Amino acid sequence: MSSLLEMRERLRNFYSKYEIYITPLFKFVLALVSLMCINGNIGYMDRLNNIIIVLVIALMCSFLPMNFIVLVSAGFVCAHLYTASLECGVVALAIFLLMFILYFRFSPKDTVVVLLLPLCFIMKIPYVVPIAVGLMGTPASVVSVGCGTVVYYLIQYIKVNASTISALEADDGAVAKFRYVIDGILNNKEMLITIIAFAAVVIAVYLIRRTSVDHAWTIAMAVGAVLGVVVLLIGDLAYDTHISIGLLIVGMVISLLIAKVLQFFCFNVDYSRTEYVQFEDDEYYYYVKAVPKNSVAQAKKKVKKITSVL
Amino acid sequence: MLSQERVQLMTKMAAYEENEGRKYMSIGNYFRSDYIGLQTIKSIICATIAYAILFAMYICYDFEVFMQDIYKMDLLAFGKNVILYYFIFTLIYAVISYIVHSYRYFMAKKSLKRYYHHLKQLNAMYDLENRK
Repeated sequence: MSSLLEMRERLRNFYSKYEIYITPLFKFVLALVSLMCINGNIGYMDRLNNIIIVLVIALMCSFLPMNFIVLVSAGFVCAHLYTASLECGVVALAIFLLMFILYFRFSPKDTVVVLLLPLCFIMKIPYVVPIAVGLMGTPASVVSVGCGTVVYYLIQYIKVNASTISALEADDGAVAKFRYVIDGILNNKEMLITIIAFAAVVIAVYLIRRTSVDHAWTIAMAVGAVLGVVVLLIGDLAYDTHISIGLLIVGMVISLLIAKVLQFFCFNVDYSRTEYVQFEDDEYYYYVKAVPKNSVAQAKKKVKKITSVL
Repeated sequence: MLSQERVQLMTKMAAYEENEGRKYMSIGNYFRSDYIGLQTIKSIICATIAYAILFAMYICYDFEVFMQDIYKMDLLAFGKNVILYYFIFTLIYAVISYIVHSYRYFMAKKSLKRYYHHLKQLNAMYDLENRK
């Protein structure tokens, strides 16, 4: 354990020393992965489906605020969907505009969830996002998680039904196509169940990790994961959404492991050294529980100078 | 002369000014009513745009039915409904905005109070040193 803590301190020191390079590099990688995933899934516009353009834009994103990556990704999605069909592009644009206008002006920091959640969905570990948001954020982040889920299912729906939507144009015209896209999104039961499950996970994890019980973060993660599985399975039973149980459990276990790593970096305390203090002032009695953080002093390197006089 | 305590306090204050302080100071420059009023007006504008998008989507979704019925329907009643829903939508959004920004203003003032307390402490330290 002490070697792990020492490694954490070393990582922290490394980050604080080279933050000026690491942060842009992280943004660059995030932008590159996001744009490549978008191109890989719905790369209908040939001009944007070009690695050089993606690299240039990712490089640009590395020097701009994090929210710019979200804006660029939203722009990419709209442009690709517009190429697939005008109506798909309009619907995607309307959804993104509503998200940005109504919610993200209140909490611009949460926009990154909209980017991370579809990426995690593609990697089959979407459950890590609601657990992490519950651990690090507030219950208001439920809206961000919901928006991220809507974006993923929108992309997924259009990717799967692209050929049907194109065929509709010739027969029934633009209005039918428009209606088909909106119906497909609004009547997506799997999306609805996922949003409910993720919202339940965020709120449960948040409420439990705020309690003063020992190992609150670990209990919160476990309860959140179990609750997520239960809600998704109940939804599957009720609406027959064809959720793969094996994949769900494997994804949840991997998500729990990632959340555990997050806990190691953000909330590493030693419950064995918990102290209970009681005191009073003129107005209140205080019952305080103080849990010390786990930390180790980094071993200092000693340089021994051996000089010899010849 | 360099004082370790003073340098610590100044470092803490500089870090605050660089990070959360910047956001809170811009809020703290306003009177409460001005800040909340301005933000609520912005929210009303945003709600109007959002409602226009939703309405346009609704019309596009039901475009054929809408065009068929346009001569049969009571346009005045339809207009009244549209305006009524607009007011309800905007009112709900404005109330949420009011609550969020009132809380933000409260937090900003609380945080700035601590910052001004540190400023006073720093001033007192300088005074003490000058007297010596």
